[in-house]
Amino acid sequence: MITQRGFVVLFGGILLLTSGFSFYNFYLTLLGVYLIVGLVVTLPLFATTANIAGIEVERRISKVKVFSGDFLRVRVTVKNTSRRHFDFIECWDRFPEVWTLAIGENFIASRIEPNSSITFSYILQVRMRGRYYLGPTEIILRDRLGLHYYRRIVFEKTEILVYPTWKDVRRLESMGKQRQLGLMFGAHRTKIIGMGTDFAGFREYQPGDSFRSIDWKSSAKRGEMMIRQYEMEKNIQVVCMVDTSGSMGNGYPENTKLEYAIRAAVLLTHMGLERKDLVGTCVFSELVHSYVPPSTRPNHMYDVLEALAMAEPSGWSDYESAISYVISQTQKRSFIIWLTDLEESPAPLLNAMKTLVANGHKAMVISPFGPWFEAPVGQFGPVDKVLAEAVSEELWERRTKIAKALARFGISVVNVGPEDFLPTIIKQYETAKQRGVAMF
Amino acid sequence: MKVVTWVLRILSIAAFVYMAYLVYSIMSALGVWDWSAPYDYIVTVFRLLSLIVFFISIVVFSGIIASVLGAIPGGLVSGLYNTLVLRLWYLQPYRVDGPLTDVNAAFAQFLNNIMDLATYLFETTFIFLYFLCAGVGIALFLQSLVRMEHKYVAGAFISIQVILILGAYKGLEVIDMNPVPVDFVTFIFQSAQILALVSFAYLEISYQMIYSYSVGKPVEDREETLKKQLLALRKATRKQDAIEREKISSSGMSRSSGATVFSFVREAIERKTIGEQDALENLDAISDVRRLQIFVDELLSSDPDARDELTAKAAAPSSFYVISSTIMGSAIRFVSVLALSFLLINPQFIMDLLNLTPGIQNSAELNQPEIILLFLVPLILLFPFVAMVISSFVNTEEEKEELTPEEKEAEKERKRKLKELKKEAEIARKEREKAKRGKKKGEGDEWDRALEETYGV
Repeated sequence: MITQRGFVVLFGGILLLTSGFSFYNFYLTLLGVYLIVGLVVTLPLFATTANIAGIEVERRISKVKVFSGDFLRVRVTVKNTSRRHFDFIECWDRFPEVWTLAIGENFIASRIEPNSSITFSYILQVRMRGRYYLGPTEIILRDRLGLHYYRRIVFEKTEILVYPTWKDVRRLESMGKQRQLGLMFGAHRTKIIGMGTDFAGFREYQPGDSFRSIDWKSSAKRGEMMIRQYEMEKNIQVVCMVDTSGSMGNGYPENTKLEYAIRAAVLLTHMGLERKDLVGTCVFSELVHSYVPPSTRPNHMYDVLEALAMAEPSGWSDYESAISYVISQTQKRSFIIWLTDLEESPAPLLNAMKTLVANGHKAMVISPFGPWFEAPVGQFGPVDKVLAEAVSEELWERRTKIAKALARFGISVVNVGPEDFLPTIIKQYETAKQRGVAMF
Repeated sequence: MKVVTWVLRILSIAAFVYMAYLVYSIMSALGVWDWSAPYDYIVTVFRLLSLIVFFISIVVFSGIIASVLGAIPGGLVSGLYNTLVLRLWYLQPYRVDGPLTDVNAAFAQFLNNIMDLATYLFETTFIFLYFLCAGVGIALFLQSLVRMEHKYVAGAFISIQVILILGAYKGLEVIDMNPVPVDFVTFIFQSAQILALVSFAYLEISYQMIYSYSVGKPVEDREETLKKQLLALRKATRKQDAIEREKISSSGMSRSSGATVFSFVREAIERKTIGEQDALENLDAISDVRRLQIFVDELLSSDPDARDELTAKAAAPSSFYVISSTIMGSAIRFVSVLALSFLLINPQFIMDLLNLTPGIQNSAELNQPEIILLFLVPLILLFPFVAMVISSFVNTEEEKEELTPEEKEAEKERKRKLKELKKEAEIARKEREKAKRGKKKGEGDEWDRALEETYGV
């Protein structure tokens, strides 16, 4: 293949050649011949040496599963397994467009000797959850004068799973450290007597009671052995229903309703695990994409993260199928938190809620309100502004009706925007614990 | 690599200077380097323009007067106007040295003057262009030494050669090689051949110089970029630390809690006071910088090769290889170009070799330069053909992205599962629909009533 530079030489040669012919000048003709011959004479030699199939690319990464926003070191080794040297080799290692090159360069250009290799590395900042691939690698071999080249794409791909961002959890943890938020086991108080920290009262000693529980002071006063009793602390079971229908993908990139819902689900799962509550996650649209049952296993968080990482906004919301599936999988009473934008027709939603309540579960809806995730109205022109406001009002009215219908059965709907999405989920979780919803 | 590049740079300068000197000598022998020519040319251009403007002004003036008076202005008016213009306008060099009272006389004068000027301009244009090409050639050559780009080298080469092309076009006896010597040694030492070789050598050496520069440059650039990136990162982190220290000292808080907590305390405070999305995004960016700093610090301390890999220091080619391959490559190209050019430019040799009939051998066409094409085209096309044949043996085909059998199986399985799920969901939906249709109107429970109340359905 002749490069652009090669074509310039060719045209220069033709110019001189034709000038020589026109002006009957052998010098110009000779120079034209020189250029044209000089361009092609090494072509067979280059074709012999440029055994591009002898190039192998190996890519190594520091980890295959990372959180969105984390940094990843990529090492690329280009090996020349042939017996020829390559005068000039360019190597471009491609990475997903949404990621950011933080340190180094994903490109190298050098000379490579036979049976030797060159290694370079770069650091990427991983952005946006999902399944991504590093690669392919583009290899371009040039002759030393840059007149000819061969190109090859090495389809050596490295798969990376990007979990949703962990920054919310980091923030919460750090603020929690400062404020000493209640991270204790079972923050919820019950009226059931048992193991706990809050004092409930005294009773008479019975054989088998622990000596540690004897209250010596009151025993001395009463003249008989008295036992201290405490309120039992219990945990709750929560299932987070993440709607991944197409409408949830609306909003600014990285700040869509779905992204916030996923961040909220991650935060909720983390908080639940910290407090030894059972938190499950169901990712659904017109079908249930994944369901991670409530658990406290050490790897539970990663299962949830994996399920959420793969969520893509598409299709429509089939609330009934989703809740039927979850109910069939969940034996205990649960507190079901729906993270949905309620932009489907209300009847299926109400039917789903009916099924849910009929099976003894509690529920609430945290609903991102579409217009709050879109561009601010101030950025629109006058016509767009009026239209946006009209659409917004209609959506709000519809939402109010749904909220009224659900409120009759004790299911609250909380409308949220990007700013209060995460605080709302924290608040609702704390409230549910305090109220003792869905204890097990 | 820098040494090799410098050596080649000096050789390139020498080749260019020699090439330029040869061209200068050739043209100098023809007496074209009249140093006042550029100035004369520019002045002539302006004079020509002045004359055209003068003529237009006469015509326009006469036209306006004619439209006002209804007749072509008389001698008095035109004479007055032209005298005024001539007094204000220096037109003596155009031989318009007296008042022209008649418009027709002005026309005739103009035609004479403009033809003279145009002829003079044509003569001086070529000399001006020689100077222009020389100037452009030198400027591009200097650029090529600094910027190390092929386009400047090619530009300098073409500019210098264009001087000879223009000379040939003008019909000057610029360097030639007619008749072409049959003897190879005589051929090599012809002055035209020497100039052609020097010109080719300039191109070859300059391209080699750019190669030697560019083959080591990416690694140097990487190192430089990395240094800048790390420095910027360090500065950003220090800046943040300074801000935090300032905030801590001003608020009188204890330092014992650690920097991380402080950053989040600050975040919490700012969230309360500012509470805007922008502020949170800034905090995210600050957090990213700090985390990147920690990541890089850990990487550099845990892996001793990390820095070399980031800069790709090991990828820098050795100077020895570059020098040896430069000499070898250039020598092969020189010899083959020389030999092939001799064969192509001297068809007599091939004629003898082919033992053609005297009718062809003695034909007048063999003395024309165009005969070269007869041999040049097939010979030139032979090289790409051979290269294509070789490429077909050596696997240089672009690969197609193909999935491994396991990946194919996994993809198949995923699609099958998705299909099943969709089918199940569809069945469930249909059953629900059926159940709903089977219900009588009066059986509506509290939920249905709620819907009815809310939506009025």
